[in-house]
Amino acid sequence: MNCEDYREAIAADPSFDGGAGHLTECAACQAYRAEMQVLDETITRALSLEVPDLHMPELPELTASTSDNVVALPKRKWVSPTWFAVAATVVVAALLGVRLIGTGIEHESLADEILAHLDHEPYALRVTDVAITDERLNSVVAADVAQVDRSVGLISYAQSCVINGHDVPHLVIQGERGPVTILLMPEEMLDGPESIRGDSINGVILPVGNGSIAILGESEEDLEKIERQVLKTVVWST
Amino acid sequence: MQSSKAATERRQRFDQYVGVYHQDMYRYAAWLSRDKAIAEDVVQESLLRAWKSLDALREESSAKQWLLTIVRRENARYFERKRLETVDIDNLTASQAALLAEQPNEELDDMRQAIYELDDDYREPLVLQVLMGYSTNEIAEQMELKQGAVLTRLHRARAKLKEHMARQ
Repeated sequence: MNCEDYREAIAADPSFDGGAGHLTECAACQAYRAEMQVLDETITRALSLEVPDLHMPELPELTASTSDNVVALPKRKWVSPTWFAVAATVVVAALLGVRLIGTGIEHESLADEILAHLDHEPYALRVTDVAITDERLNSVVAADVAQVDRSVGLISYAQSCVINGHDVPHLVIQGERGPVTILLMPEEMLDGPESIRGDSINGVILPVGNGSIAILGESEEDLEKIERQVLKTVVWST
Repeated sequence: MQSSKAATERRQRFDQYVGVYHQDMYRYAAWLSRDKAIAEDVVQESLLRAWKSLDALREESSAKQWLLTIVRRENARYFERKRLETVDIDNLTASQAALLAEQPNEELDDMRQAIYELDDDYREPLVLQVLMGYSTNEIAEQMELKQGAVLTRLHRARAKLKEHMARQ
């Protein structure tokens, strides 16, 4: 692979992970890749519009004449990037695990809700070498909730999310095998660690003080190492 | 007419999909139409159509792609019905302008405007890839294109955005 081929591939998909041999030898392409990943981070943020509350239309009672099968199922080919495969697995796991009461979704367990939540933010799971700013980190992890030391790893994503009715800092750090999700849940007290498992994702919810921290990554990621790192670098404020 | 139990189960299944994918449906519709008000209309119509054709969905793992396909077709129908004219970036309606004024951030405003100005042919595959997590193969299926054409469009879309941002 030469520079032109590599740059075409990376511009079409910044998560492209081929051409490793060329990349290690070409500083210019390394810089180009980093530049495209920064650009994509901005694109992702720009595209992520606020979504208004759902107004469910009045759904007609179905009879034979109103049932409408006009939309054919698209065929799926599972050749997607790794981070999408993770998200797709989470979808399946989440759909199998949730149940509905009224118009809201209630989950069987905290683990199920976490898996379902990850599917809502697949763009968080991107491979990148660009860290979020201190300003962003501090706006998501409020000082009266927790302190997060940067040595936890390269923090590439931070968003305040709602888990089990509580605002929860949702962070992503770059692991050795891909992005790793960390959810800081100061109000979720557990009796002991709980495992979270999917086909290509696994994780754990660790009781920490009066709260808990969820850590999820790809199956091949050394999560125990990251767990130790998280426990050393995250401190509850209360 | 369905039995009461079957109808309840069907409704629960539908609510489950809507709960999980409503945000994706709205964002996809918003970037296809480039108008928040139209996006809400398109999502409403799409939900109705999905409700009527829910029995066509056999695999739960295909639910997202199935719903986004419905959104895409409803958006096309909406524009066909209204026969909307090309959007003039200097003369936007309030709901078009609202899409660009999403967050008070200069860099994001610039990027959002650059995405807004992309041709539909470039903007849609970018949204599917970046926001929806589609592979280039899946984008090719959704847009009924060859994979090579998708790669070219994605490459050009990013080149245009990069050029736009460099000018700012």
